[in-house]
Amino acid sequence: MIKGKKAFTYPVAIDVKDLSFSYGKTEVLSSISLQILQNQVTSFIGPSGCGKSTLLRCFNRMNELIEHAKITQGSVLINELDIYEKSIDPIELRKRIGMVFQNSNPFPKTIYQNVAYGLKIQGLKNKRKIDEIVEDSLQKAALWDEVKDRLNENAYELSGGQQQRLCIARTLAVQPEIILMDEPCSSLDPVATARVEELIFNLKQEYTIVIVTHNMQQAGRISDLTAFFYLGKLIEFDETKKIFINPKMQQTEDYISGKFG
Amino acid sequence: MKEQRSQSNRFSSGNNRMVSLEKIVFGITRILTYIILFCACFIFWDIISKGSRKLFTDDGFINWSFLSQSPQTLHVIEHNGEISKLSSDEYFKFKEELSDSAWDELNTRDEFTKVQKRLKANLVAATEVTSNELQKSLLTSFIQDEQTEATEKFNYWMELLENASSHAPDFQVSSEDIPYLVGRFILSFLDQTKLKYSLLETELSFFQALHYPKIDHLSSQSIQKIKLAYFNLLEEHLHKIWEAYIAEKKNLKENINDFLQSPSSTSFSTLESQIIAYMENPLLLKESSANLWEAITADLQWIGSEHRIEVPSKDYAYSGGGIFPAIAGTILLVGGAMLIALVLGVCCAIFLSEYGKSGKFLSLVRLSILNLAGVPSIIFGLFGMGLFVIFLDWNVSIIAGWFTLAFMVLPIVITASEESLRSIPKGFRESSLALGSTKWTMIRTSVLPYAMPGILTSAILGVARVAGETAPIMFTAAFAMRSELPWEGLEHWTDFFFQGVMALPYHIYVISKIPQNEYTVDMQYGTALVFLILVFLLASLSFIIRSRLRRKFNW
Ligand SMILES: Nc1ncnc2c1ncn2[C@@H]1O[C@H](COP(=O)(O)OP(=O)(O)OP(=O)(O)O)[C@@H](O)[C@H]1O
Ligand SMILES: [Mg+2]
Repeated sequence: MIKGKKAFTYPVAIDVKDLSFSYGKTEVLSSISLQILQNQVTSFIGPSGCGKSTLLRCFNRMNELIEHAKITQGSVLINELDIYEKSIDPIELRKRIGMVFQNSNPFPKTIYQNVAYGLKIQGLKNKRKIDEIVEDSLQKAALWDEVKDRLNENAYELSGGQQQRLCIARTLAVQPEIILMDEPCSSLDPVATARVEELIFNLKQEYTIVIVTHNMQQAGRISDLTAFFYLGKLIEFDETKKIFINPKMQQTEDYISGKFG
Repeated sequence: MKEQRSQSNRFSSGNNRMVSLEKIVFGITRILTYIILFCACFIFWDIISKGSRKLFTDDGFINWSFLSQSPQTLHVIEHNGEISKLSSDEYFKFKEELSDSAWDELNTRDEFTKVQKRLKANLVAATEVTSNELQKSLLTSFIQDEQTEATEKFNYWMELLENASSHAPDFQVSSEDIPYLVGRFILSFLDQTKLKYSLLETELSFFQALHYPKIDHLSSQSIQKIKLAYFNLLEEHLHKIWEAYIAEKKNLKENINDFLQSPSSTSFSTLESQIIAYMENPLLLKESSANLWEAITADLQWIGSEHRIEVPSKDYAYSGGGIFPAIAGTILLVGGAMLIALVLGVCCAIFLSEYGKSGKFLSLVRLSILNLAGVPSIIFGLFGMGLFVIFLDWNVSIIAGWFTLAFMVLPIVITASEESLRSIPKGFRESSLALGSTKWTMIRTSVLPYAMPGILTSAILGVARVAGETAPIMFTAAFAMRSELPWEGLEHWTDFFFQGVMALPYHIYVISKIPQNEYTVDMQYGTALVFLILVFLLASLSFIIRSRLRRKFNW
């Protein structure tokens, strides 16, 4: 990782304090506390159904769209502000915290319109400015060279990997501070995965990134910090190197070495 | 050997009973399907074969006059041994032509020239003799006579009221009922004058309404008041009667001039009806030139009977002409109803599927919407009449029909829209929200456009279904006959919405109710065929929209 600087010395971007969350009566997160650091890649790992996506969606308040879902205890602070306070506008929050979903889901519009979507709904009208941002975002998402001649084609004509990168570009276009990625490579082949990983590595300079992954190698390759969840509990959270080489908990070691999950 | 084979081949047909059951099920389903198909074909064939007799001409072209004209009475006439079918327009034209030629023939007769000469002289004399001053004095004396007569009547009623008990036996009522009786007398007197002074009908009705409460609580004082008010009314409006007289006289003079300049069958007929109307006016009869007019009338009658040729015809209502007003009305009704149903239905569906929290209330709403679909159409018609026509006072009008039909389509539109909205992937909503859009922006930009093909298709199909309904429009929007087109003769653009129209299904219904004959049946099936084609076009439209939009928003 970045040499010379220890990961834990970065400022805190997201501070999760003793967070519990439940869908109806079933509690899926219990007393989670962890800190996401700025300009670092944090990966969430853990068996399916342990609550990784749920926690991720707590960071941009996407969970409140689900009926009966609620935070039962604790708080999430971003830049030292409790994002669940009444004065916080979830719309503004989501503009600053981008999210890339598990399944690539571009809109059935042209490639250009997909990337420009976030800008359009924010009321940006200047065509030149939009063009600029669209190109810039596609460049950052390492997609520009592949699509620059077909910006007016339907996004669904792209390959799966390209679609996923398009979704990343779409998220970058609104210039968030934090990017949440839920298994961005789950449906990609190794080459496309490598490209997305490279992209994440580059994006780290400017953004804070949280990524959920089922791929241990991937977590090891790209993240600075890793959190391991099991049955809604945070089992271990540390520098990636430590988690992978020398985990403190037995469960972590079992999971990483493939004994369960 | 055989045993061995059935053992080795595990797929050999072992169970004969299952096989025959299979065959029976196959046979039954197939036969039933063919029966249904046969019935459908029969219905279509029936409508197409009978309808095309009207829709196409004998040489196989489309009968444009059927599509572009208003319904008319069909006159079947026999003339010179030839039977021909004529619409009213054609029939009257034909009669006119006949009279014209008869007129020409009449002109060659000496007797006619003599009568015509006398008539002309009399007409000139009559118009010159009757001066305005004379007429005015006649009118004034007429009013005075009226007042004398009315005074007598009012005095008699007052007397009746004051000595009620002594008059009661004459009327075979008790004395308490006398005031009521007098009230009736006054009312019927006013009704009579209304007939006499048809020009003052509005004023007299207003007068009647104004005094009605007083007529209920009669006293000789109140009768006195009514009497004075009545005389005032007559005097006040004298000038109105006078102006009307002047106008009518001017009109008559013009017609006389027309006739004098170019005597023909047409100008003669106009003059004749004008004079008949003039003679019937009670205010204008008492003239010094009365005997002149009598002579004129006699001559008119003679000429009329000599040159007018009666062409006996059998009349069949609605069997001639075309159905254009009905086509236009149906298209208007259906288009507007669909627009309203779409707006209301989509709003409701958006609320149900996007905003509403699932719960008892919402399922109750859904249930009632579903049940609405089962309500008979006549109930919608009555509902529309009660709410729009009577309560909101829109009368029988396009707009009342729109809303009634829209309410009928609503269940279909809401259910289908909700389904379409639900079928939009969750990912579109989530990614839109995650990019910082508000809920409404999300719905507007990344849900509605993709749900639109489904919504439109269902709305069009739904509206095609109710387009054929008679019950909902028969009290709310449809006229049995109106040859004016909806966009003709509007005083103000809003009047467009508040007029009744003809409609194809109602037209079919109306034709079916009048006595059947070979001509009405053609008309009925022709209308049905046109309606069928319209519905077919609507359905194709929905198909085109769907495939177009599907191709555009393909995911
Ligand atoms: N909308 C929902 N309503 C009710 N329960 C839910 C809902 N979404 C998730 N859950 C439950 O919450 C728990 C955590 O789900 P979550 O999606 O966070 O798991 P995950 O760790 O992301 O799993 P995966 O790796 O398979 O994506 C699961 O047990 C799941 O069944
Ligand atoms: Mg998940």
